[in-house]
Amino acid sequence: MIAACVKWVAGVPEPGDERFAGISAADQAAVELALRHGASMGDDVVVVTAGPPAAERALREALAAGATRAVRVDLPADATSSDVATALAGVVGDAAFVWCGDYSTDRGSGSVPAFLAAERSARQALGAVAVDLADGATISVTRRLDGGRREVSTVSAPAVVSVEGAVARLRRAGLAGVLAARTAPIEVRRPAVVVPDVAAIVHAYRPRARTLPPPHGSTLDRLRELTDAAAAPAHGETVHLDPADAADRILTALRAWSYLT
Amino acid sequence: MLALVVVRDGSLPAGGDEVVAECGGRVLLIGSGTAAALDDLRGAVTDARLVEAGAFRPGAWSAGLAVLLADDPVVVLPHSADGRDLAPRLAHALDRPLLAHAMVVGTTTVELIRAGGTELHSVVAPAAFVATLHPGLRGVERTVTTEPNVREQVLPAAIDAIDAEVVATFAADAATLDLAEAPRIVAGGAGLDSADRFEQLAALGAVLGASVGATRVVTDRGWVGHDRQIGTTGVVVDPQLYLAFGISGAVQHTSGLGAPAHVISVNTDAHCPMMQLADLAIVADANATLDALLARLGTLEVAHG
Amino acid sequence: MDDEPDVDVIVVGGGPAGACAALVAARAGLSTVLLERGPFPGSKNMYGGVVYPRILDRLIPNWWETAPIQRWVTRRSTMVLTDTQALTVDYRTEAWGKPPYNGATAYRPDFDHWLAGHAEAAGAQLVCDTTAVGLLRGASGRIVGVRTDRPGGDLRARVVIACDGVNSFLAKEAGLFEHTDAKHYTLGVKETLALPKEVIDERFGVRGREGVDIEMIGCTSGVNGGGFLYTNLDSVAVGVVLKLPKLAAQQLRPEEIIARMKRHPAIAPLIEGADLKEYSAHLIPEAGLAMMPKMTTDGMLVAGDAAALCLAAGIWLEGVNFAMASGMYAGEAVVEAVRNGDVGVEGLAGYQRRLSETFVLKDHRRLRRAPEIVLSDRVQHLYPAMVAGIAERMFQVDNPAPKPRLRTILKQERKRVGIRRRDLARDGLDGLRTFG
Ligand SMILES: Cc1cc2nc3c(=O)[nH]c(=O)nc-3n(C[C@H](O)[C@H](O)[C@H](O)COP(=O)(O)OP(=O)(O)OC[C@H]3O[C@@H](n4cnc5c(N)ncnc54)[C@H](O)[C@@H]3O)c2cc1C
Ligand SMILES: Cc1cc2nc3c(=O)[nH]c(=O)nc-3n(C[C@H](O)[C@H](O)[C@H](O)COP(=O)(O)OP(=O)(O)OC[C@H]3O[C@@H](n4cnc5c(N)ncnc54)[C@H](O)[C@@H]3O)c2cc1C
Ligand SMILES: Nc1ncnc2c1ncn2[C@@H]1O[C@H](COP(=O)(O)O)[C@@H](O)[C@H]1O
Repeated sequence: MIAACVKWVAGVPEPGDERFAGISAADQAAVELALRHGASMGDDVVVVTAGPPAAERALREALAAGATRAVRVDLPADATSSDVATALAGVVGDAAFVWCGDYSTDRGSGSVPAFLAAERSARQALGAVAVDLADGATISVTRRLDGGRREVSTVSAPAVVSVEGAVARLRRAGLAGVLAARTAPIEVRRPAVVVPDVAAIVHAYRPRARTLPPPHGSTLDRLRELTDAAAAPAHGETVHLDPADAADRILTALRAWSYLT
Repeated sequence: MLALVVVRDGSLPAGGDEVVAECGGRVLLIGSGTAAALDDLRGAVTDARLVEAGAFRPGAWSAGLAVLLADDPVVVLPHSADGRDLAPRLAHALDRPLLAHAMVVGTTTVELIRAGGTELHSVVAPAAFVATLHPGLRGVERTVTTEPNVREQVLPAAIDAIDAEVVATFAADAATLDLAEAPRIVAGGAGLDSADRFEQLAALGAVLGASVGATRVVTDRGWVGHDRQIGTTGVVVDPQLYLAFGISGAVQHTSGLGAPAHVISVNTDAHCPMMQLADLAIVADANATLDALLARLGTLEVAHG
Repeated sequence: MDDEPDVDVIVVGGGPAGACAALVAARAGLSTVLLERGPFPGSKNMYGGVVYPRILDRLIPNWWETAPIQRWVTRRSTMVLTDTQALTVDYRTEAWGKPPYNGATAYRPDFDHWLAGHAEAAGAQLVCDTTAVGLLRGASGRIVGVRTDRPGGDLRARVVIACDGVNSFLAKEAGLFEHTDAKHYTLGVKETLALPKEVIDERFGVRGREGVDIEMIGCTSGVNGGGFLYTNLDSVAVGVVLKLPKLAAQQLRPEEIIARMKRHPAIAPLIEGADLKEYSAHLIPEAGLAMMPKMTTDGMLVAGDAAALCLAAGIWLEGVNFAMASGMYAGEAVVEAVRNGDVGVEGLAGYQRRLSETFVLKDHRRLRRAPEIVLSDRVQHLYPAMVAGIAERMFQVDNPAPKPRLRTILKQERKRVGIRRRDLARDGLDGLRTFG
C-alpha cells in the first residue's frame, strides 16, 4: 500500500468558509506522486486526512484522480502535530511509502511527516525538491540543505517522504472519476480523545530585536562612523518621492555609503 | 536550556550560532567535525558537548540522543533543514511536546511563528520540551571571553533504527553560490510588473557589482530561476548592501537576509516590514523608479572595496 | 440509433438559471449533472447587485430565511444628473423590508453558491472546475450530450440545458443564435467599495438590513448608458452600463467614466473615504426580444442570459430573476418531455409556452422598445439637462422677479437645450406606450 496525507486548510479570505478552503500545492504534489508510485508498483493508494467533514472534498478529489481508498480521521483542528501523526499512523500503519507535503500552509511546521516516521519507525526524506521513483522499491530524493546545498538520498520501505509543491502537479481527474468519486464511500475513524495544542495568546507578527555583535574597529573609526556626515543620510528614513527623485535619492545614498563614486 | 546543533563536515547550519546564544552558551554539537564547528562558535559558547557521530541520521540519532538529553528539560534546535528533520523525532523519542518554528524560546514563554509568518503565538513553556528556532531573526552576541568547558560524548547505539541512505551532497551551484556570497544584492518582489524588470535589475546589478535576488512569489511566477530566491526555502544570503524593489518583507524572506549594513527599499506601502527594516525607505512606484535609475546608469562609476 | 445516455439531464452553467433548472429536474427524480467551469458556483459571476427573488417562492419556501442576502432594498431612487445638477425621485417603503420582500442586494459568489446548494440537496450532481467545450450529436443530428475539458470528458444525456451565460457558446454551437452583433450588447462595469456599516446606514438613511438602490441617468460622460449604486452590508457597488459602439467611438475607458461619476457632487459625499475592494466587467445582452435566440432544438434548451433573457432597459436591470424563472421553466419542460418520451423540439415545446405565459416574455414584449428609448441620444443627453433646468428654475427664488409660470419654464428650457416640440411630444407618447 502507498499512502498520501493531505491537510484541509481553512481558506483565505474568509477562514472557515469552505468555498475557499483546500489542500496546499505541496499536498497535491504528494497525492500525484502517490498515484504515480502506486501505478508503478501495481499497489493500492490510500489518501488520508485528519480533519473536519468538509475535508472529505479533498479526499473525493484524490479519489477522482485515481486513489483507491480514502479515510478521514475525525480530529479537531487544534490537535498537536504529534497527535495528528499518531492518528495518521493508525491508518497508514502498514503502507510501504507515505507521501506528505513539506509544510502545511496554516500553522505548519513541517513536523507531522517526521513524527509519522518516528511513530512507524520508518525512514524519512523531507522537503524533497525532486523525486525519482526509479523502480519504485527504492526511490531517490533530492532535498535542500542550508546555504543552497543539495543532498540526494535513497529510501526504501517503510518510508515517509515529504515534497515541495513544485515537485509534481496533481493530474486533472477524468469526468467519470469525478462522478464516481461523488458517492464513493469514505471511511471515517474516530480516535480516542486528543489533548488540544497548548493554548496561545495570538499577536500580529513583529520581528524580535536583533542582538548585534559589539562594534569593532578602532575608537577613531567608530567616532568617525558616528559623526561622519556621509554616513548620516539615511538610517530609518522614510521619504515619499516621485520616481525621478527616488532614483536620485538612491544614487545619493549609494555614494554616501561609498558603493558608488 | 541546551542547544542541539547538527554539524556536517565541520560546518554549522543556518541559525546554529543563534540557538547557542538563545540557550546561554550551552550546546551539544553532533555530527562530523564537531571540534571545528566549535571553533566557529568562539565567543558564544560556555559549555559544549561534542558527539562525533558521522553522517546525519535522524532515525538512529534520536534514540541515542534521548538518552544523552534525558536531564536537559529544554532542547532547542535551529529550524534549518537538519534541525526540522531531527526535532520531531527527538521529541517523539523523549516523549516531550515539540514547539516548532519559534521566534523566541525561553523557560517561561515561547513565541511561535504561525499562519505563514503573519502571527505570533505566545505559549506558556511546558516543564520539558523540544523547540526549533527560526534562523536569522535573533542575531548573536559573542561576549564569552573564557574558554568553553568541553566534553566529548559517545552516542548510545540505536538498535533497530533505519534512515535514508545519502548518495551525494552537492555544493550550491555556481549561480546560487554567487547569490549566497554576494556582497551586494538588488532584489525584486511582486511589486514589479513583469519579468523584464529583472533584466533591468541585472543591468543595475552589473553597474553596482551586485547579484540579482527575488522573492518566492517571483520565482513561483517563473520570472527568474528558483536559485535566485532569497529566504528560508531559498538561498540564505548575507550581503553588505541590499536593495529591495517591491518586496513586502515577509519573515520567510527577510530571515534569509542576514544583516546587511545598508538596506534601501522602494515600495508603494510605507508600512510594510521591508520598509521598517530599511535604512532608506522610499515610497514610490518601484517600476518607474527602475526606469529612472536605468536612465542614469551610463554615467555611474562603482566604488570597489 | 443514439448511444445510451449516461444521465437524464446535463445542465451547463452553475449560475441562477442553471441552478434552478437542475433543482427542478433533480427534484422530479431525473438524474441530473450540473457542470460549472469555476471552482464553485458563482465564483466568477458578477452583476450590479440587486436580485428580485420572488420567483423562488415556488422552489424554496421561505427562501428569505436562508438566502445569503446583504440588505433588503427598502428605498429606491432614480437620479437624473447633469455635470453640476441632480434631480432625484426617491421612494421608500417599509413593506419591502419584510416577507415576502421585493429586491435584495447579495453577492453572487454567495447567492449562486447557495442556490446551487439547493440543486445539490435535491440530488443534482454538481461538477465544478469543468467546462463544456462542445456538443455531442447523435446520428440524426440531435444533441445527445456535451464534451467537457476533463480527460474522458464526454457525457451523454437525454437533454442538455444550456445556462452558460451571456454570449452562450453552446447556443451558438447549436445554431440557435443569430445575433452576435456588438450593438446588441452593453458593457457592465462595477466597483465594489468598502465602507463601515454604520457609515452606510448614516449616509443612506437606512438601518439594520435596509438597503438602497439608486439608478442614474446622465452620468456616463456622453456615452449612452446608465449608472447604479447599491448598498451591501459593508460595501457599496457603484457601476455603469455602457453602449458598446458609442464607448468605442468616444475612446473613453470605462474606469474613467466610473471615476467621473464618483466625483459628481451628488455621489461623491456618499462614497467618500471608501476603499476599492474589487473591479469587474461583464457583457449584458441588452437588445431583449430583438436578439433572443430560438430557445429549443432537438435535445437542448437555452435559458437565462444564454437565451438573452436579461432585461436591461435603463432604469431596469433585471437578469437574475429572468434567469431563475427561465431555468425553472426549462427544468419543468424537460421533466415533462422525458416523461412523455419525446425530447425533440415538439416534446420540449412546453418551455416556450411557459415563457410566453409568464413575466419572462411578457415583460420583454411590453418593454421591447425601452432600451431604445432610454438609451436614445435625446433621453441620454438632452432631457437630463432640460429636466434639471426646469427643477432649478422652479425652486430658485429670483426676487424681485416674480415666479415664472411652469409652462414658460418648460418652453424656455426646451429651447435652451435644443429639443424640438415635435420630438418631445413623440418621445412622451412612446414612453407612455412602453412604460404606461
Ligand atoms: C513555508 C514557507 C516558506 C517560504 N519561503 C520563502 C522564501 O524562501 N523566500 C521568499 O521570498 N518567500 C518565501 N515564502 C513566501 C513569503 O511568505 C511571502 O509570500 C513572499 O516573500 C512575498 O513576496 P513579495 O514581497 O514579492 O510579495 P508581496 O508580499 O505580495 O509584496 C509585494 C510588495 O510590493 C509592493 N508593491 C506593489 N506594487 C508596487 C509598485 N508599483 N511599486 C513598489 N512597490 C509595490 C506592495 O506594497 C508589497 O509590499 C515562504 C512561505 C512559506 C509559507
Ligand atoms: C454589470 C452588470 C450588472 C447587473 N446588474 C444586475 C442586477 O442588479 N440585477 C439583476 O437581476 N441582474 C443584473 N445583471 C444581469 C445578471 O447578472 C444576469 O442576467 C444573470 O447573471 C444571468 O444568469 P445566468 O444563470 O443566465 O448566467 P450567469 O450568471 O452568467 O451564469 C453562467 C454560469 O455558467 C458558467 N459557464 C459558462 N460557460 C460555461 C461552460 N462552457 N461550461 C461550464 N460552465 C460554464 C459560468 O461560470 C457561470 O457560473 C447585471 C449584469 C451585469 C453585467
Ligand atoms: N491534519 C492532517 N491530516 C493529514 N495530513 C496532515 C495533517 N497535518 C499535516 N499533514 C501532512 O503533513 C505535512 C506537513 O504538515 P505540517 O507538519 O503541519 O507542516 C502536510 O503537508 C500533510 O501532508
